[in-house]
Amino acid sequence: METLSPSLRRVLDWMVTVTSVVICALVLPIRFAGIELLGTGPNWFLIWVVAWSLKRSPLQGALAGLCLGFIQDGMSMAQPTHALGLALAGVLTARLQKQRYIQEDFISVAMIVFAMAVIVETTMAIQFSIQYLLDAVPKSYPLLTRTWLYHQQIALSSAILSSLWAPAIYYPLNRWWRLSQATE
Amino acid sequence: MINMYTFRRWWDLYGLRIGLVTIALSVAWLIRETNGLPVLEAYRWMAQSIQAAPSDADVIETARIQELQSQLQEMQQQNKQLRTLLDYPALSAEENVLAPVIGRSTDQWWHQILLAQGSSVGIEVGDVVGSVGGLVGRVTHVTPNTSRVLLLTDPASQVGATVSRSRAMGYLRGQAGDLAVMVLFDKVPDIRPGDAVTTSHLSHLFPAGIPIGTVRSIDLAKSPAPEALIEISSPISRLEWVVVHPNPKLIPSAAANETTDRSSAGMLNGDP
Repeated sequence: METLSPSLRRVLDWMVTVTSVVICALVLPIRFAGIELLGTGPNWFLIWVVAWSLKRSPLQGALAGLCLGFIQDGMSMAQPTHALGLALAGVLTARLQKQRYIQEDFISVAMIVFAMAVIVETTMAIQFSIQYLLDAVPKSYPLLTRTWLYHQQIALSSAILSSLWAPAIYYPLNRWWRLSQATE
Repeated sequence: MINMYTFRRWWDLYGLRIGLVTIALSVAWLIRETNGLPVLEAYRWMAQSIQAAPSDADVIETARIQELQSQLQEMQQQNKQLRTLLDYPALSAEENVLAPVIGRSTDQWWHQILLAQGSSVGIEVGDVVGSVGGLVGRVTHVTPNTSRVLLLTDPASQVGATVSRSRAMGYLRGQAGDLAVMVLFDKVPDIRPGDAVTTSHLSHLFPAGIPIGTVRSIDLAKSPAPEALIEISSPISRLEWVVVHPNPKLIPSAAANETTDRSSAGMLNGDP
């Protein structure tokens, strides 16, 4: 790293970051044993956003959340948007008083991912509810109760899986970013 | 002049960052607007290169499928004549596309599968997706070489359904797992555990008469309408291959609206 010129180093840094996002996107549709719980998989993008935002400003966290949320919109359904929840997760992760309360280890990161997964799924559930209410579908009431019943199941399974898999994304990315910061 | 100077300095400091953020946001937006086209195509390429050569079990299975297909052809011939008498919208067998399932839904809320065939072989939004056992779902997005299917088990999916034996009508609502709930229109419906359930002719998204599953249990006391628990006969959580049929009920303009107007999740498969 030290032998490279600063501009080349920056390009390399961005390439690694973009590649990691691409890998997360390509892993999203895959399911295999250990990755699936009640039909859902880990939220790889959320793990990435948390890993990114841990040592960055709330604005950087929000922008990363927006970008990855838009990509996920394209890959599943665009409405309601995933960008809102991920941006919120980015801001909240960046604003956590980490030096004071939380150490930088796998357990803490897993716990942050767990909490953020619940926040992301709750944001989705709120958006679903608002849509049902605004559309004024006659069947909206049972749909609303079903959404929130479903939300409990999704939030729990997504939070458990994402926090368990968090080190897989967090560890290599954090190492790389620490290395690149140290050389700068 | 000072303003110019401060701007220059500000730009030197943040210009690159702003540029990169703009690029990142616009690429992400582009992916969103193209329904994930670059990512999904890349994923398909990756999945295809990883996929192993067919094993012996596959060969035997293929042979068995062929045997069943030839039996089916015979039945279809008989059925065709009967259908013309009954004026059912027929599924034209010539345009069916066999597609491997290469991925599952990319978020927790939607139950989707990703197929390794797309618009380049003629798959369109709204096409009917079936498998061994019957109906699986409906195509909601296509890229040149992939297509995304909203499964029957998706909680937002609603399909007009009928009980084959008694013609009792209702609509089928997805439930996570391999189960679905059929909400019946009649207060006292003629329905028994074990009855076969098919798509009804009131459904405007699916042709009538496609097998869905069998009745497992009935809850007549359910308010506001009696409900039945339906076991979906195709193995939705373990699908490997599916057949995509062109949808004869599809009106081109309605299909166009369907792709743009996704405001109501409950109306996505909005039957009846």
